[in-house]
Amino acid sequence: MVRSPANSGDSVATTRPALTRRRLLGTAAGSTAALGLAAAPRSALAEMLAARRAPAVVQGGTKLTYWGGLIFSDAANSLLEETITAWGDANGVEAEVVMINQNETTQKVSAAVESNTLPDALDMGLDLQLLLSQQGQLAPLDDVYDRVGAAQGGWFPGVDAAMAPERFGGTRTGVPFGTGGNLLFRRTDVLGEAGFTEPPATWQELSDQAREAQAPPIFGMGFALSNVGDGNVQVSVLQSYGGRIADDAGTTPTIKSEATRAYLEWVSAAYRDGLFPPGATTWDGAGDNQAYLAGQAVFIANTGSVHLSAREEDPELDASTAYSPLPGGPTGLVSPLGPNVRAIPTSSRNADAAKALIEHLANPEFMAEYYAVAIYGPVLQAQRAFPIYSGESEVHTGLANLVETGTAPAAPDVFNAAYAEFNANFLVPKMVQRVVIDNYTLDQAMDETQAAAEAIYAKYR
Amino acid sequence: MASVPATTPRPRAAGPTQGGRAVEHRARRRPAAGSVGAYLLLAVVTVLLLFPVYWMLTISLKIPREINRVPSLWPQTVTLDNYRELLGERGFLTNLRNSTIVAGSVTLVSLFISSLAAYSLVRFRYRFRGLVGRLILFGYLMPTSLLFIPLSIIVARLNLGNSLQGLIVVYLTFSMPLSTWLLTGYFRGVPAELEEQAMVDGATRMGALLRIVLPLSLPGLVAVGIFTFTAAWNELLLALIFITSEDLRTVPLALQYLITGDVYRWGPIMAGAVLSSLPVVILYFAAQRVMVQGATAGSVKG
Repeated sequence: MVRSPANSGDSVATTRPALTRRRLLGTAAGSTAALGLAAAPRSALAEMLAARRAPAVVQGGTKLTYWGGLIFSDAANSLLEETITAWGDANGVEAEVVMINQNETTQKVSAAVESNTLPDALDMGLDLQLLLSQQGQLAPLDDVYDRVGAAQGGWFPGVDAAMAPERFGGTRTGVPFGTGGNLLFRRTDVLGEAGFTEPPATWQELSDQAREAQAPPIFGMGFALSNVGDGNVQVSVLQSYGGRIADDAGTTPTIKSEATRAYLEWVSAAYRDGLFPPGATTWDGAGDNQAYLAGQAVFIANTGSVHLSAREEDPELDASTAYSPLPGGPTGLVSPLGPNVRAIPTSSRNADAAKALIEHLANPEFMAEYYAVAIYGPVLQAQRAFPIYSGESEVHTGLANLVETGTAPAAPDVFNAAYAEFNANFLVPKMVQRVVIDNYTLDQAMDETQAAAEAIYAKYR
Repeated sequence: MASVPATTPRPRAAGPTQGGRAVEHRARRRPAAGSVGAYLLLAVVTVLLLFPVYWMLTISLKIPREINRVPSLWPQTVTLDNYRELLGERGFLTNLRNSTIVAGSVTLVSLFISSLAAYSLVRFRYRFRGLVGRLILFGYLMPTSLLFIPLSIIVARLNLGNSLQGLIVVYLTFSMPLSTWLLTGYFRGVPAELEEQAMVDGATRMGALLRIVLPLSLPGLVAVGIFTFTAAWNELLLALIFITSEDLRTVPLALQYLITGDVYRWGPIMAGAVLSSLPVVILYFAAQRVMVQGATAGSVKG
C-alpha cells in the first residue's frame, strides 16, 4: 500500500524515510541554536516548541494522524505542519499531518465516520462540531479546555458562550483556536470621491452610500444573495432588522413578522436600484471576492481572505481598502463570530497523545506566530496582546474587535441543529431571491420560508 | 452562399451542348457556394469550441492583478510564473504521475476484464445472460454520489484507504460496466463464422478471441480505452473522498486544492488545467482515426 510519509509539506516526499527527516530536524535544531533565533525564526520557533515535552502519558512509538484545516495562507499551513511534526519528533510520536481543504471537510468526515477512518484529531468549524457531537463522534475535552483557558487569562466570553456544554451533549468537545467572522470591506477611493469618509453605521446608511458612490461597472453592494455560505450574511442583516428565525426556545420558527418585512423591503429596494452586481443571486462562494478583487464592488463582507489576496496580488486595491465592523440595523448590531476548534474523535486510538498535541498547539509562542500569517481572531484573553492584534494589521485588529464586540453564533436566535440545518438550506437568501427574481410578494416569500422552516424545526422537537 | 445559384441567369433556349455546359457550370458553382457557407459555419463552431481553451491558456499566462482587473483577450504582461509555481512549489509533476498511474492502470485492467466479460455475454449461452448484461449496465447508471459512502466502507475494510491502489479498485467498479457494455456491441459485429473457421483450423476458444475477435475489434478497444482513460483522468469526487495525503493527489484533486476557502488562484488553476489537458489531447490526437472508426463501427452492418 502506498502511504504518505509523516508529512513534510513537500509533495514529492515519497522517497524520504522518516528516519532521515528526524536526523534532518536534529541537525536543524543544532544549527538553529548556533545561528540564533533571529536568523531562522520559523525553524527556531518549531524547535523551541518541540522542546516542550508532552505529558508523560504520551507513549513513545505512538502514531498520530492530524487533519489540519487548509486555509488561504500557505505560510500558516506550513507553520502548523512544521510545528506538529516537530512536536511529534520531540515526543517520539509519529505524527502525520494532512491538510484538508476546508471546503471538503464535511464530505471527507462523512465518509470517514462511516468507514471508521477518522483521524486522531482534526480542525473543524462550529456547525460540524455540533453535528458530530450530537452523533457522539467527539471525545470530551473539558480538561484541556479548562487548563488552556486558565493558563492564558480565560476565553473570550463570546467564544466561551459558543462552546457552552449544553449544546454539545453536556461536555466541551472542541478547543477553539481561532475565530472567524465578517468585517465590512469598503473602497475608500470610490467612497471618498462621493464624499463619504466614515464607515456606514447602519445597513440603510450603507445602501445610501452605495447608491451615491456606485458607477457601474462598479456596484455598491457586493453581497451574495445566492445559496452559499456568504449568502447567509443576510441572516445577520435580517436579525439586525429585528427578524428572527425562531422563538427564544429555539423550537418554533418565527420568520413571518413585520421585522422580516422591513428587511425584505430594504433589500429588494437596493436590488431594484441596481446596487447589487449582476449575478449576485447565483454567485458561488467566491463571487464577492471576485467582484471586489475585480474592482467592481464598493462594499463586501469578508472574513479577511480578500485582504490576504489583495495584499499579495493587488497592493493598490489593498491600499484603498478600509475595514470596519458590519453595520447595525434598526434593532442593533448582529455580527456573529464563529470559533474554529480542534477536536478528537471518539474513535481515536491515541486520544492521550492527541490531547497533549492540542494543548501544545495552544501555546502562546506558536499562536502568536500562527495568527500573524493566518486570518483568525483570537480566542483567549492573553492573545489580545499579540502584536498582530495591536495595530500591526488593520484586518487582524478588526477581527480582534469582532471577538470582543461580536455576537454569539446565531444570536439573538438559538444555535442548535435546527438552526444549522435552516442555514445549510440557505432559506433566507432563497427568500430574497423569491422577491427580487421571482417577483413573489413579501407575504408569499415569507409564507414559503416559514413553511420550510417549520418542516425543519419539526424534525428536532 | 446559396444566393449564387439563384442569381445565375438560366439559359432559355440552349442546345444539348450549351445546356450541358450550363448544368456543369452550375454544378461546379453550387458546391463552391455551399462550401463557403459550410466553412463559415465550421469557423463559427470552431471559435465557439476553442474559445474556452484559448481563455484557459491566456489566463494561465497572466499576472494575478491582470486576471482580476483586466478581462482582456490576451495578456498585457506575459508570465510563466503560474507554471513555475505549479511545477516548482506545488509539485504538480507528482500529481500528473499519480493520475497517469491510476488512469493507465484502470484502462488496462478494465479493457482486459471487460473484453472477457463482453465476449462471454456475446458468444456463450447460459442462464440469466440477459439479466447479467442488464445488471452490468445498471451498475454503471448508479450515481457516484450515492455510492461513495458504501465504497468508503469497503475500501477501508480492504485496508486500501488513502492509496492509489484503492482508487484504482474504486474506479474499476465504474469503468468496467461501461467498457463491457460498449465492447459487447463491438464484439457482436464480428461474425461468429470467422471464429468457427479458426477453431476448425485448430485454434482454441481463447486463441480465436485473441487472434480473430480482438484484432477485428481494435477500433472499439481503442475507443473504449480512451473513454475509460479520460473518465479516470478527470474524476474528482471519489479522489476527494479516498485520497488524503498530499503526495497521492491526482490532477483534479490537486487543482481542487488550489481553491482554498473562498479564494480561487486562477493563474495556477488554469496553468494546471492546460497541463492536465495535454496528455488527453495527445491521446485523442494519436488515436483519432481509430476512434472515429470505432465510434462508427457496425453502424452499417446488417
